Amino acid sequence: MSPRFPVRDQVAIVGVGTTPFSRDAGKSDIALAVEASKNAIRDAGLTKNDIDGVSATMLGVQHVQAALGLEKLTYFLNCFPTFSQQIVNAMNAVFSGVCDTVLCYHTVAVSPNNSRAAAADPFRIRAASGGLSRPPSPWPDSLAFPPSYAAWANRYFHEYDAKREWLGLIAINSRTNAMRNEHAVMRAPLTMEDYFAARMVRGPLFGMLDMDYPVDGADAFVVTTAERAKDLPNKPVLIHSAVLGQTNCTVEEILPDLEHSAHQVVMDALWARSELSLQDIDLFQPYDGFSFICLKWFESVGYCGVGEAGPFLEDNWDKEENRILIGGRVPANTHGGSLSDGGTQGSGHIREAVLQLQGKAGNHQHPGLKSALLGVGGFFPYSGGLILRTE
Amino acid sequence: MPDSNVKEVLERFPNTWIDRDNFAMFEGFLEKRMLINRCQDCQKYFQPPWPSCPNCWSENVEPTEVSGNGVVHTFVILHTGALVGVEGVDYMKGYPLLVVELEEQEGLRVTGPMVNCANEDIRIGMPVRLNWIERQGHPVPAFQPA
Ligand SMILES: [Zn+2]
Repeated sequence: MSPRFPVRDQVAIVGVGTTPFSRDAGKSDIALAVEASKNAIRDAGLTKNDIDGVSATMLGVQHVQAALGLEKLTYFLNCFPTFSQQIVNAMNAVFSGVCDTVLCYHTVAVSPNNSRAAAADPFRIRAASGGLSRPPSPWPDSLAFPPSYAAWANRYFHEYDAKREWLGLIAINSRTNAMRNEHAVMRAPLTMEDYFAARMVRGPLFGMLDMDYPVDGADAFVVTTAERAKDLPNKPVLIHSAVLGQTNCTVEEILPDLEHSAHQVVMDALWARSELSLQDIDLFQPYDGFSFICLKWFESVGYCGVGEAGPFLEDNWDKEENRILIGGRVPANTHGGSLSDGGTQGSGHIREAVLQLQGKAGNHQHPGLKSALLGVGGFFPYSGGLILRTE
Repeated sequence: MPDSNVKEVLERFPNTWIDRDNFAMFEGFLEKRMLINRCQDCQKYFQPPWPSCPNCWSENVEPTEVSGNGVVHTFVILHTGALVGVEGVDYMKGYPLLVVELEEQEGLRVTGPMVNCANEDIRIGMPVRLNWIERQGHPVPAFQPA
């Protein structure tokens, strides 16, 4: 029996906004959120009086609400990135009627650990100092967050005799796409030699070009009913299917294996709630906070079997365009991904999918796209997936 | 947990998240004993140290000393991390962080650095045993080739 999903195609993304991305915006996180949010609300053809819900990552809704002068909210929520929970929560809130129109935003900022300049910025130092919070694992040398992906990639390479070139193809695909996207931060051509020459950060697999590129910036979206979307200026982008996913292995080292991670939870549930199948997808936006997460998404969504993502990339590599075109047709991470557009924990992937489906992607527009599959997240908590479409 | 022990453990780990659930683990560190919570009903070990058994929900859980023998499940050589400037942590050379599957139970895994072994010689599947290093004024569990 297919799961009930009465929200299918009933809620739409109707506006999108961003800010320039840079190494140092010289602005507060609130200023960036406000800038992207205003852009999204204006893009939707709405005003602040139309917004009655806010669904955001960890920058407090109350601050941005006050800064934007959103007088009354009947729905608000902060939750962790990656940026897919925010859209699913907005969809649920709109569909249930708790509110009619939700602003979603996500801000990113270069942390003091990312660069010497950032380390000397007293505002960043203060923001990063804070109180202690509960880590995923209590071990003094835990895998918490970034090291876990390098460690699990290492296990995958061990089991499937993988080649580092496969990760290189992910990085090159993102860069080639970024070269056509004016919003992207990293736009210089990238070769496999460049990839291998990059400084090692988390050995033996992850160098500088396997990790998302830290930026200051923000993305924002407006979500409302499909009914209301008909009266608004933009082509509605319908949320066809959307789920979140995580397993009980919230501590990275106890994940049984990579076939029992949040990826499988997301994709099993996402397909079960969709009337589309993989062959119907026109655009693939797999999250690439680390190159390896992106590689694994190709397997997790079903393009190929376990351990086969590398050969699949090689088979579907368009040599002339120097990027992935699945079946000669479906591009992946057309904005340049987190690796080259800028690290956004997934909001950039959704921004790009919306723009492509609206036909508003400018220089890097692909003609005739009607559906997009987004795997937004990693193997541990806070993962998710979306299928977006236009009519 | 007597007050004096709590005070000492908290003082010896000033920048660590310590609560009632994981306290015994850190208390064990000070005695160089690796304690992992074990359910007295279903007999399963589990970690992190949740307050009751995630398998059978029993609250009859005992921090139980384990051998620390195991095999390398996976590893990463860190050239960046949170321990900048800490003695014994050389991110230039590469700081080897292991996931070790303990011999006590399939899937029971803990983390710690490798010592007494060149980074290039670390392999997935290699047997290791527990060692202890002194860092930031207290013992920290580490591993070395068995
Ligand atoms: Zn039990």
